[in-house]
Amino acid sequence: MSRAAAPLQWLSMGLLALGLLGLSPALSLSLLAFGLAVLTALKLREARSLEERRVVALLQLVCAGLLAALRPELAPSLLQGLAILMALAGLLALELGAGPDWKALLRRSLQVLLAALPIALVLFLLLPRLMPFTTFGAGQGMGAMTGLSDSMEPGSIARLAVSRQAAARVAFPLGGEPPPQEQRYWRVLVHERFDGRSWRSAAPTFPRPVVGQPAPPPPPPAAPGEGIQLWLIEPSGLAAVPWSGSGRPLSADLRLQRSGELLNRAPGSQRRVYALTRTADQPGWRTAPPGPVDLLLPLGENPRLEALAAGWRRLGSDRERLDAAAGWFRGQPFRYTLEPGALPREAPLDHFLFESRLGFCGHYASAFTSLMRAAGVPARVVSGYRGGQWVQPVGGTGYVDLRQADAHAWSEVWLAGEGWRRVDPTAWAAGDPLARSGAAAGSRAGGGPLDWIQQQWWGLDIAWARWWLGYDGEQQQALVARLLGEQRHLLGVVVLLAVAVSLAAGLGGLGWLGRRHRGDPLRLELERTLRAFARQGMAPAAGETLGGFARRLAQRWPSLADPLEAFVANYQQQRFAAAPSRAGRRTAYRLGRVLRRSLRTGNRPAEAVQRDHP
Amino acid sequence: MDFGRPQQGERVRLRMRNLYILPTRFGWLWLAGTVLLQVVGVQMQSNGTLLLSFLMLSLFLLTLHLTHFNLQGVELACGVPAPGFAGEPVPYPVWLRCPGRSEGVRLRLGREAPGPALSLAAGEHELAVAWTPPGRGWQRPGLLRIQTTAPLGLFCCWSRWQPQTAQLIFPARRAGPVRLLAAGSAPVDGEPALASRQDGSDDWRDLAPHRPQDSPSRLAWKLLAQGRGEYAKRFLDRPEAAPLLSPEPGVPLETALEHLSERIWSWHGRGLSYGLELNGQSVAPGRGVLHRDQCLTALACCR
Repeated sequence: MSRAAAPLQWLSMGLLALGLLGLSPALSLSLLAFGLAVLTALKLREARSLEERRVVALLQLVCAGLLAALRPELAPSLLQGLAILMALAGLLALELGAGPDWKALLRRSLQVLLAALPIALVLFLLLPRLMPFTTFGAGQGMGAMTGLSDSMEPGSIARLAVSRQAAARVAFPLGGEPPPQEQRYWRVLVHERFDGRSWRSAAPTFPRPVVGQPAPPPPPPAAPGEGIQLWLIEPSGLAAVPWSGSGRPLSADLRLQRSGELLNRAPGSQRRVYALTRTADQPGWRTAPPGPVDLLLPLGENPRLEALAAGWRRLGSDRERLDAAAGWFRGQPFRYTLEPGALPREAPLDHFLFESRLGFCGHYASAFTSLMRAAGVPARVVSGYRGGQWVQPVGGTGYVDLRQADAHAWSEVWLAGEGWRRVDPTAWAAGDPLARSGAAAGSRAGGGPLDWIQQQWWGLDIAWARWWLGYDGEQQQALVARLLGEQRHLLGVVVLLAVAVSLAAGLGGLGWLGRRHRGDPLRLELERTLRAFARQGMAPAAGETLGGFARRLAQRWPSLADPLEAFVANYQQQRFAAAPSRAGRRTAYRLGRVLRRSLRTGNRPAEAVQRDHP
Repeated sequence: MDFGRPQQGERVRLRMRNLYILPTRFGWLWLAGTVLLQVVGVQMQSNGTLLLSFLMLSLFLLTLHLTHFNLQGVELACGVPAPGFAGEPVPYPVWLRCPGRSEGVRLRLGREAPGPALSLAAGEHELAVAWTPPGRGWQRPGLLRIQTTAPLGLFCCWSRWQPQTAQLIFPARRAGPVRLLAAGSAPVDGEPALASRQDGSDDWRDLAPHRPQDSPSRLAWKLLAQGRGEYAKRFLDRPEAAPLLSPEPGVPLETALEHLSERIWSWHGRGLSYGLELNGQSVAPGRGVLHRDQCLTALACCR
């Protein structure tokens, strides 16, 4: 048992503990991982014998596997990979005697890992995926983390407006320009129910999967011309996830609600990744007719608001009422601010519309939607994100970076013949941040070096999400179809063959690596050359010096006299040099090669020598 | 794991036909862990867990070969064993030639505990394997078992071989009574007798300047009285006559031989001369390693 074994195993343990830090304790699997890690650490503490130490290494690997299931993101995956490497090095150190040092151990475990990786990749890429055995585990882990909430009361988003925390990223991997700044509205929640103070969403906080119900069939993959929007969102605790409002879901986890909310069945305590097509067609939710709930307004709460709206009721069409309201808003001195102060409990919207005229998006959306409803136009509040910065990482696909500060609320009104139309009343106020950020977009893109590094890292993150997390059953099927075409029944044979070939390649590679580090390079070069002569029937006699043997060779092949002399002189000079140099070794290689080539060609030694002495 | 047909012969070359390989208990546990991770990976649809599970499976496949390669082509032969004593660990020389690097090699003779894991570079090695012979005489050490579990401990690859060369084993050393036969002879001729003579009190030999720590009884009073200064007398012990060692009567022969073995060993250590008288066979008194080994060999081969 090498002395390095215990430190390596403790190092692996430390890395696993670091990986455990970010787990949410709500998932039962993460409790399992916690428990297993604690047990492994205890076992490592009391382990004395070889057998026990081996079991510790295995437990560490299982722990890393559980962590990989819980934290599949890029940074935790790197950490888990390192922990796996250390666990393997610890296991190797158990078997090799006290001799090998740390560097040799790590190199050896990397070699073994690299030799085993091709087989693992073949199995991973080609073996058909199984569906989950039960739906246990999905939909767990509720509890609001950060970001939007399903109940919107003007004032509740104020706290988000100052947070620069990352919220989501959307990339367009198949190319294409980002949408223009004024088109970047990413909807999440639709708030239809209004009780006079707060707007509530009708969508469930979390869709509970029905036990025993088979998972819905995966949607068909994107057609060639459709384009893709790939979303990666931070833990939010909401089932509804942001999207652009157009496009068709590509992930099986997604479900599109009639109201235009996109629900994701994956647990909200984790980071989620999903994809939609990027098409400009009109999706169904935009033309889904409004229900009575979209006109609901508690009467008498805000009398001045109702009186104002009553005047617009007399107008002929919804469109005219909307224009009237827009004109009225533009004509009033509304101002955007993050600190509007609390609204009174009595007639809060009246106070906002006719007295303070200070507020942020929630105030404007809430007041405008109420006005529209009072005027008889079906309307609702939508919350989500607005804007976002376009980032183009080095050598990667560009993405729109959304922060919590980009959280926003706006209105949607139903216009007969057109469907739901987005209206953003905040844009009518003076000091709207979107207008300002649009003007300052150029200057903000610069940022500091730390920002730049973070943007590059997120670019990597998106690539990871696209290529690694996105590799699922469908991708696997597509790959097999591309490789085998119609010959799908040959998959088993192909997998077996590929495993055998990678196994042979791995073993061959390990053998080659092992030989490379064996023995004195100068001596090896000499023996290689002697072997070449031995094939021609010339071997040194017992007790013959190298010089004597070279003279004998030169007698038989006079043309080789020069390269022989050069080779022998260099060999002896290097052999007896006080400090053999790397350059001398390289000269030995070169001269040996020249000599052997001259021996092979036999008749043109001079040219060969010249070629190697440019 | 210790079964399989033992190989016979002076030299043995390990190859497919005489190497055995099976998963260790840890290997089976490893497979169970692989299955567990596979289940978790399928259930959670997690690529990382699935890949780790496949990686563990491929390490299992890979180490099957790596473990086998550790012993494949290794040649085994005996060295020339040096004599040893019964009842205590005795090194038995084993000669190994490895065609490539052999990792985690453990050798074990008979029922002894396996030795430490050795990493052997390509080339020839002479290793000493300890075993504890039960009795005296020419003994063969029993089956030699060579095994390795490197690099990951998932597989145990082993082979068994019966070494042919016997090792001379002296009787165990046990303190006890020994019969001393007075040998008439003084120190053996031709040996420098002076070496064994020590400072003593028998013979007056020399004078030396008196030192304060010298006893006053050693003071040369006569010279002092003559006013020639303080001198101390130096004396020497007379050398003993070398005795012949012989088994104590009334003690069972094996025990008596063990007592003799211990006595010879300790007297050799003190540089004393001795002879041996054993069942009519006798070794003349003498000293030195060769003499000691001659006596011990006589003990070992005594019938």
